[in-house]
Amino acid sequence: MRTGLVLPEKLAKQIDCILVELYRKTGAGCVLLADITGQLIGAEGQVQNIDPVLVSALAAGDVAAMAELTRQIGEESPHGSFLHEGEKKSVYLFNVADSFILIVIFQADTPVGLMRLFVRRAAERLHPLTAEFEDLMGSPRQVANTAFSTTLAHELDNIFEGL
Amino acid sequence: MFINWKSREINLKIVYYGPALSGKTTNLQYIHRKMNPSMRGELVSLKTRGDRTLYFDFLQLELGQIASLKPRFNLYTVPGQVCYAKSRELVLQGADGLVFVADSQQQRLKDNLQMVRMMESNLGALGHSLRTMPLVLQCNKRDLPAVAPVSLMRQQLGFNGAPCFESVATEGAGVFDTLKTVINLVVSHAQREL
Repeated sequence: MRTGLVLPEKLAKQIDCILVELYRKTGAGCVLLADITGQLIGAEGQVQNIDPVLVSALAAGDVAAMAELTRQIGEESPHGSFLHEGEKKSVYLFNVADSFILIVIFQADTPVGLMRLFVRRAAERLHPLTAEFEDLMGSPRQVANTAFSTTLAHELDNIFEGL
Repeated sequence: MFINWKSREINLKIVYYGPALSGKTTNLQYIHRKMNPSMRGELVSLKTRGDRTLYFDFLQLELGQIASLKPRFNLYTVPGQVCYAKSRELVLQGADGLVFVADSQQQRLKDNLQMVRMMESNLGALGHSLRTMPLVLQCNKRDLPAVAPVSLMRQQLGFNGAPCFESVATEGAGVFDTLKTVINLVVSHAQREL
């Protein structure tokens, strides 16, 4: 189980480049990258009334449930992608190296074959970066100075006061 | 925990765990109702037609900028029914802190204990243990008759070292004290661990 991940700026920029390219090539409403625990890592584009953090959490739940379901029926290598075709918008989830999920929300009239192709290519480019992620997980890093926890505790007192 | 230095965001995952009908969802509903809407997202519940949690509830809190960082807390509940053991393990993945919501009624002590064992087993499967995970015990439903003494609950559940709060989640008593404490525990733990 991962214990923590600190994403350095350089790696964040590399990921953003891949997400931007996928977003532009597919004309998707938005492209998100989440980890398997549901944390949002990167986002490009915006769809009205859609909260990327919430979408990431739900996508992770979906992928985890489907992976377990396929394992239960004896599929050792569960298929890495899930597509929901809606009337107006569709969602495509793509499992990257069993650690991350590429989430694409797009107009339902977009050719699905094209979407699959571009998403697969983006996932191939993300794949080597996942190794860097693995190295970073739980590695010693400065999270925040003591001022952060002290200020946070103070802020919590203010925010929650009287609730 | 996930920290993005580019956007200066710190994301932390807190999971509310406990037996069926102990008040996990009620905690999140109260937090959602009382928090300033600018600081919280939508409360999403994946539940059955009978209004029982099927997979998880999810609520995101964003407390604004603190010491030049943007902390974001993702609150989850697990389904309490015994049959959803695997779902609980999936939700626990990546958890940075836990709130164990115990039902204080004397006749539920066995259920609480059973769920503690399951939590230990879930954590073990994920390479963690109760000793290393920031945890707060919440003894809920203190307004009901025939509740067990808190000292007995702590002892029986084996949470002697963990902070403990008495609560009535339906009325909000103890809900924010629990949340504040688990957030502070998680942040100090993260500073020590990383």
